[in-house]
Amino acid sequence: MASFAAVCRVSSRLAGRRLSQDVAAVRGFQTSVAARAAQNFTMPALSPTMTEGNIATWQVKEGDKFSAGDVLLEIETDKATMDVEAQEDGVMMKIMQGDGSKGVKVGMRIAVIAEEGDDISALEIPADVNAQASSAPEPTKAPASTAAAAPTPAEPASTSPKAPSKSTIKAPKQTYPLYPSVVHLLKVNGLDSSVISEITPTGPGGRLLKGDVLAYLGQINAKTPAEVESRFEHASHLDLSNIKVAKAPEAKKPEKAAPAAPAPAPPQNARVTVPISLAAVLEVQKKIHKTLGVFLPLSTFIARATDLANDELPLPAGTQPTADELFNQVLGLDKVGPKGSRGSYSPQVAALPPTSFLGSRPTKKADIFDILAAPRRVTATPKPVTSAGPSASTTGPNVFSVLVPKKEEKRAQVFLERVKLVLEKDPGRLVL
Amino acid sequence: MLAQRLIGRTAVRSAFKPSGLPAIAPASRWTRTYATEAEQKDLVIIGGGVAGYVAAIKAGQEGMKVTCIEKRGTLGGTCLNVGCIPSKSLLNNSHLYHQVLHDTKHRGIEVEGVKLNLAQLMKAKDSSVSGLTKGVEFLFKKNGVEYIKGEASFKDEHTVNVKLNDGGETSVSGKNILIATGSEVTPFPGLMIDEKRIISSTGAIALEKVPEKLLVIGGGIIGLEMASVWSRLGSKVTVVEFLDQIGGPGMDLEIAKATQKILKKQGITFKTGTKVLSGALNGDLVTLDVDSAKGGKAESLDADVVLVAIGRRPYTGGLGIENIGLELDERGRVIIDSEYRTKIPHIRCVGDATFGPMLAHKAEEEAVAVVEYIKKGYGHVNYGCIPSVMYTFPEVAWVGQSEQDLKKAGIPYKIGTFPFAANSRAKTNLDTDGMVKMIADPETDRILGVHIIGPNAGEMIAEGTLALEYGASSEDIARTCHAHPTLAEAFKEAAMATSGKAIHF
Repeated sequence: MASFAAVCRVSSRLAGRRLSQDVAAVRGFQTSVAARAAQNFTMPALSPTMTEGNIATWQVKEGDKFSAGDVLLEIETDKATMDVEAQEDGVMMKIMQGDGSKGVKVGMRIAVIAEEGDDISALEIPADVNAQASSAPEPTKAPASTAAAAPTPAEPASTSPKAPSKSTIKAPKQTYPLYPSVVHLLKVNGLDSSVISEITPTGPGGRLLKGDVLAYLGQINAKTPAEVESRFEHASHLDLSNIKVAKAPEAKKPEKAAPAAPAPAPPQNARVTVPISLAAVLEVQKKIHKTLGVFLPLSTFIARATDLANDELPLPAGTQPTADELFNQVLGLDKVGPKGSRGSYSPQVAALPPTSFLGSRPTKKADIFDILAAPRRVTATPKPVTSAGPSASTTGPNVFSVLVPKKEEKRAQVFLERVKLVLEKDPGRLVL
Repeated sequence: MLAQRLIGRTAVRSAFKPSGLPAIAPASRWTRTYATEAEQKDLVIIGGGVAGYVAAIKAGQEGMKVTCIEKRGTLGGTCLNVGCIPSKSLLNNSHLYHQVLHDTKHRGIEVEGVKLNLAQLMKAKDSSVSGLTKGVEFLFKKNGVEYIKGEASFKDEHTVNVKLNDGGETSVSGKNILIATGSEVTPFPGLMIDEKRIISSTGAIALEKVPEKLLVIGGGIIGLEMASVWSRLGSKVTVVEFLDQIGGPGMDLEIAKATQKILKKQGITFKTGTKVLSGALNGDLVTLDVDSAKGGKAESLDADVVLVAIGRRPYTGGLGIENIGLELDERGRVIIDSEYRTKIPHIRCVGDATFGPMLAHKAEEEAVAVVEYIKKGYGHVNYGCIPSVMYTFPEVAWVGQSEQDLKKAGIPYKIGTFPFAANSRAKTNLDTDGMVKMIADPETDRILGVHIIGPNAGEMIAEGTLALEYGASSEDIARTCHAHPTLAEAFKEAAMATSGKAIHF
C-alpha cells in the first residue's frame, strides 16, 4: 500500500509539474496585470488513464498560505483517494470546485492560486483557458454536478461550464451599470466583479444578462441564453421570407389604363357663354384716365375679374368625391376649408351678335395647347383666348365664353356669372 | 387656409402684370414644370401620414431637400385625421359621460340632469384633430419641408406627377422617393360602405346620432374601441367576431377572455366564432345573416348601423406603380428588402403600405430608420419590441409574445401574474378590474412578453417595452423601485411573481 501511495505521490508531483508548465504557457498570453500572480490550478491527472475525478476535500481554505509539499486537496478516482501536494509556495486565492465536486475533468480549473505575499483582494482572476474543452462535451452534466455540490452552503460550487458558442471571443468589457439581477447574482454567489470579463454576454448590444450569469454559474443549461437571444434576434427583423408576388393585377392594369387613356380625349366640350356689358368698365376706365392720367387697357380689368372669379369654383359635376373628401366630410373639415377648387378658366370675348359663332370657331380642331393639355383633366380648360381688346364691342354687351368639358358646364357658368357681376357692378374696385 | 388663398392670388396677380391676359395660364404651368425639373429633391415622400410626415421632418432635420405630397388636404394621415386621435377623443369623453351617469354615485358624487350633446362631443374631437394636423404643418415649415397638396403618381423612376388639389398639375423629381401611402379600410364583400348606415371606422367617429342598435363586424382593436364608444353613449352593441377570441390574434388568450368578460359586463354582446354570411339594407334597418363559424346555427341580426371593422389593407391606388414596374405581394403590400428598398433601390416604402403590423408607432420608427438608411447607410427598428394598445376601459396593452404563441412554437416559458384587485392604488381608485401578466424564459428569466389589462395599461406597457428592448429579466424589474401607491406597483409585483419561482439560492 505504501508503495502504491508513493507512486501516486510521484504521479501527482508529475501532474503538478505539468501544471506549472501550463501556468508558464498561460502567462505568455496573459496581460501583465493578471500574469503577475494569479494562476489557474487545474485538475491534475493522477494516472495516465485518468480522465476525471471527484474532489473529496480541500485541505486549505481560501486565503490560506501553503508551502511546497503541503497537501492541497484529496482527489477520489474510481480506484483510490489521493493527495495532491503543492509544488511551490503560494496562497490559495479562490476555490472554484468545492468539496464533493463530482466528475471534474482533467485539465479543468479547480482553483486559482497566487504567489506568496500577493494581496489576494487586489488580484484579477485569470481567464479559464481550458473551460471550453471541459464544457463542450458535457452540457447536460453541469446541472447534475451543481446539485451534488450544492450542500456546501458557504461556496456554492459550480462546474463553471462557460457560456456557449462565442466563448472563443473574449467577452467585451462591461462598461455600463450592470443590471440589478446581475449584480445580485454576483454578490450572492460571492463572485467579485473581475469574473464579469469571463462571462459571455448574450443580451442586446452585448449586454450582460441574468441568464448569462446563471449559465456561467452552471445553474441553467449553458446554451439557453444564446438560444433565447437568437429567438429575439429573429423577431427583431421584419419577416420578408416567403413573399408571394401578386401577378394578376399587373396584367390587368395596363388593360384598364388603355381604355381610360382614350376616354378623356374625345369628351364633348361645351361652350358656355354669358353676355356681359362692359359699359361700366369703360366708364371707370375713362374716369381713371381723366383723374390719374393712366390708361388701363380692358384686358387688365378682364384679367383681374377672371382671377377673382376663378376662386373656389364648385367642383365639376359628377366628380366622385375622393376618399379623403369623404373623410373630410365626416370630420366636418369640408365646412372649414374652401368648398370648391380654384379654376383656371380664361374667357374668350366676342362682340354680339355672334351669329355664326360656333361654326366660325373650329372647336374640334385641336391646337397645340389642346394637344398638350388634353390628357390633363383640369388644365384642359384654359383656352387660349383672343385678346379682349380688338374684338370686344365697346357699346353693346359682349359675349364671354369658355370652352369646357361637358361635366364642367356648371362650374364654368358660375365662373362667368362672377365675371359678369364684377365687371358690371363695380369694376373700379378691380384696379383701385 | 385664408392666408394660403391670398398668397395664391397674389402670385397669380403678379404673374399677370408683365404679360397680357391670354398667355397666362399655360405659361405659368410651363414655367412651373420647368422650375421643378431643374431642381431635383433629395427625397420626395408620397403620403403625409405618420410614416410620411415623420420621414419628411427627419429628412429636413438631416439637411436634405425634401418634398412631401399629400392629397387629403391635411397632414397626419389616417392616424391623426380619422384614426387613433379622433377615436381617443371620443373614447375619453364617452368614458367620462358614462362614468358620470353610472359610476360617480357610489363614489359620493351625485350629478343630476346629465345630458349628452353629441355635436359638442364631435366638435371637441375635431378641434383636437385640427390642432394636431396644423401642428404637423407647422413642423414642416420649421424643418423646411416643401408640402404639396395633391395626388401623386409615378411618371418614371425619378419623377412624380402631382394632380394638385387646387387644380392644375405639377411634377417633382427626387434622387430618392419614399412611398408612404398607408392603408385603407378593408371592405366587407357584399356590404357597400356609405358611412351613414354601413360605416367604416371613419364613419364610426362621425355619426350624427347615437344609433339604437349597432352591429360591429370584427372584434379587433378598432371594432372594440368603437363598440365601447357607442355602447357608453347608449347604443345596444353586438360584436360579431369570426375567431373564437376577441382582440385580434395578437392578444394573449387569457387577457382576451378577461377583456371579453369585463366588456360584457359593460353591456356589449359578443358573438365569437361567428361568420357573417351576407348583409342587406332592410328599410330603416340593416340586416346581417350570420352563422356559426364551424357551420350550424344560422340567425339574422338587425341594427340601425353596421360597422365594418375587419381590418385594413395597403393602399397604393392611383400611385401608378405599374408605370415603373414595382411589385406588390398577394395582399397588396409593396415588396421591400430589409432596408425598405423596392426593386428600384432609390424608391423605398415604409408604414402600412408594406410589411409588418399596421401601427402608427411602427410606421414612425420605420420613417426615422429609412431616412437614416438614405442619409447614413444604417437604420434600425426592433420589430420584436412593438407594443400594442387597445384603449377600451380598462385598457389592454401588450408587447412581445403571447402565451399561445409560445405554446404553439413549443418554447418553454413561465408566467407571473398580479391582479389589480390587490393593488392599493387601483383599490382606492375603485378600478380594480384587470391584471398584469408577465411571461419569461424559465431558465434565464429573460422577459418574453408582457400583457396588461387594467387602468392605464397603455402607459404602463412602456416599462415592459423598455425591459424587453434591454433584454431584462423579470428579476431586474422586481429589483427596481416603483413608487407607492401607484398602479405601476402591480407591474413590479407581477415581475416578482415571475422571478420568485426561478431564483433558488
